[in-house]
Amino acid sequence: MAAKRPFAVVTDSTADLPDEWRDRYGIEVVPLKVLFGSETFRDRIDITDDEFFRRLATATKLPTTSAPSPGEFAEVFTRLAKDHSGCISIHIGARLSATAEAARVGAQSVEGFKVNVIDSKTVTMPLAFLCRVAAECATLEEASAAVEERVSKCRVLALLDTLKYIEMGGRVSRAQAMIGTMLDLKPLLLVTPDSPDVKSVDRVRTRSRAIPRMVEYFSADLPVEHVAVVHAQAPDEAETIAANLRKTLRGLEIPIGSIGCVLATHTGPKALGLVYIKK
Amino acid sequence: MASNSPPGVDGPLFKRALLGSLSWLAANHEEANRLNVFPVPDGDTGTNMLLTLQSAVEDIKDSNAAEVSKIAKLASHGSLMGARGNSGVILSQIFRGFARAVEGKSSLTPRELAAAFEEAANAAYRAVNKPTEGTILTVAREAGRAATAAASEPDASVPSVIAAATQGARAAVLKTPSQLNILREAGVVDAGGFGLQIILEGMLKTVEEVDAMPDRPAAARPQAAQAALELPEGGWGYCTEFLIEGTKLDTEAIRNQIEALGNSVMVVGEPELVKVHVHTDDPTRVIALAGRYGKLLKLNVGDMSTQHRRILESEAAGAKPPRPNGVGLVAVVAGSGLVEIFQGLGVDVIVEGGQTMNPSTQDMLIAIESVPYDEVILLPNNRNVILAAKQVASLTKKKVHVLETHSVPEGVAAVVAFRPDRSGAANVAAMKDEAERVQTIEVTHAVRDTRSNGLRVKKGDVIGLINEKLEFAGRDYAEVVNKALGKLGPDSYELVTVYRGAGASEDELENLQTAIRSNFPGLEVEVQQGGQQHYPFILSVE
Repeated sequence: MAAKRPFAVVTDSTADLPDEWRDRYGIEVVPLKVLFGSETFRDRIDITDDEFFRRLATATKLPTTSAPSPGEFAEVFTRLAKDHSGCISIHIGARLSATAEAARVGAQSVEGFKVNVIDSKTVTMPLAFLCRVAAECATLEEASAAVEERVSKCRVLALLDTLKYIEMGGRVSRAQAMIGTMLDLKPLLLVTPDSPDVKSVDRVRTRSRAIPRMVEYFSADLPVEHVAVVHAQAPDEAETIAANLRKTLRGLEIPIGSIGCVLATHTGPKALGLVYIKK
Repeated sequence: MASNSPPGVDGPLFKRALLGSLSWLAANHEEANRLNVFPVPDGDTGTNMLLTLQSAVEDIKDSNAAEVSKIAKLASHGSLMGARGNSGVILSQIFRGFARAVEGKSSLTPRELAAAFEEAANAAYRAVNKPTEGTILTVAREAGRAATAAASEPDASVPSVIAAATQGARAAVLKTPSQLNILREAGVVDAGGFGLQIILEGMLKTVEEVDAMPDRPAAARPQAAQAALELPEGGWGYCTEFLIEGTKLDTEAIRNQIEALGNSVMVVGEPELVKVHVHTDDPTRVIALAGRYGKLLKLNVGDMSTQHRRILESEAAGAKPPRPNGVGLVAVVAGSGLVEIFQGLGVDVIVEGGQTMNPSTQDMLIAIESVPYDEVILLPNNRNVILAAKQVASLTKKKVHVLETHSVPEGVAAVVAFRPDRSGAANVAAMKDEAERVQTIEVTHAVRDTRSNGLRVKKGDVIGLINEKLEFAGRDYAEVVNKALGKLGPDSYELVTVYRGAGASEDELENLQTAIRSNFPGLEVEVQQGGQQHYPFILSVE
């Protein structure tokens, strides 16, 4: 039997971790769930993103989402304990989901296996970047320090095509966002680690004007260490944004990520995001 | 004549003359309304002038001032507070110029009266950015010139000067169609100029009667002047209600102070929250006084005499977190759906009004005073409200930015761009940009036969206006909207927002949507219940 590897990296499906990164670094992804009525689907296991959006378009009632259970985390940690001496488990912000809490409780039931649960205070690909940063470290301590240091620097700028979904999910304070209206607005939202709410930074009537506005906000926040463009069923627009950014931000990779169905339940289709870790 | 100096215009005479004007205008303002050039239903020039004049006379009714200067000053202040619509605002500037010209004088000689008429016209010209000939301005000037000519006659008298001014005004009104194409096409004279003529006629009727000597044939006693002198005792009060939120509020002390400003006073409540109700002629003063005790909530001021105007405080105003930039938003809007939309976008106080119901300067002032911020952005959302809105800035200590929005779509676009974390000036710049980007299509029915902009329009026709300019006429809404969208060039736009008015049926809405979607598949269509009067549909194209 081979010697135990020093530590494993665990995240959840809201990290929108590219498959290629998962395979290269051996990152473990625990799925959240999406529920259409009584039917439960594990994110990206029981349902593909395309299937999800097809169902969303015809659903009479909007789906709901749920975090993995502590038991599901316990299973994963128990399995990892066999050939790892520890684990860093990096998750969607605790204000947005109960996932990190489930990981913490799940870890307590696996004796003798050290799990550092990190509340990333963010969502989607900044999480993926944090996982990659961790995977490239030599020890669990180093990985934890490198990730902790970056948590305060993660930002998610999201452009939604409609308020409908995020409103249903109750993740935005409407009064503060000044969006208590029937009018169909394209809200530009910001998730920062220091704010308890998803903040509305701007609101625009049309998509073609909203995209450059989002890029403006991002540009004001430079420099960044990592940046990605994420989208829900809007690959062409995401590619255009990334291509334009690559022209000015030389040396940055700027991957494109697809928003998984749990997060997409709250963003709705055609959402776009500029997500980054500040330098 | 027994004396060399004929009787002059003193305070009591000027007061009676103005009351005569008021009653004569009251009897004739509908006529001015009908002179509406444009076929859109905004024929309220006569009404606006009447309401402005009522406000001018309001404080005068109870004044026994002997000096003409005092009466003129009251008229100037009152008309400024009550100015509605463009003609109303110009009228208020005429009063202002007159008051300046007679400052310090107890009585006017015919010559001084003529000079005051001329100065009144000059002041009105100065108040307008781009004076247009063939309007009330021209009529005011011609009246002043005729008065001056008459005053230099050897037997000049007050009635002869006013008679000349009236005659000058009449002649100028008749000439207005030759000065303005739009009047000639429509075959009417200028409504605002006609209103001024009526005001002068009312004065003339009054002074002729006063001047009537026993040896002269008794002039028929003008009915109008009689009516004016029988004004209701209570005057035109405002029913003013609000809550004061504060600490250790003394209801007794507040009641005592407010009782001095009106009647039907009710002040009740607890040390933290007091409800105030009063009928007053000066709601602004009441509000200013109450504002010293604490924060005002649920402010409602109803004009009990003329039009019923409400000032709605946004439902959640008290619960909203304070805005980081300390900038408030006030918008002039009518229609339940549109009111909700503007409130939902963050507007603090709505002044109900618009196309056929121009709010007065005072309505807007009250709204601005009731906003819990010292800096306020005011959105008139109608061309006819802009001038009155601009008057507000000089009447309050608050910093007021008037963002010149000409239509509901411009107003919505502007408010959407408002950001609570950006300074007032930066917001104004960004909001202005957004307002200018939006195209407005308004759809309504012609209220009269007319020719305008090369179009022949029959009463009842559906007409379409692009950015307030009449462009198309037709038989149904869909046809007119199709033409308008075609003219704008649908390729340059992506979103059409349809605000459905109170007069549009479900079927008409359905037909309109279907027509837009099938003719312009590249445009996204969004429907909102605007609830506005007179315009079955307002469309925002962006």
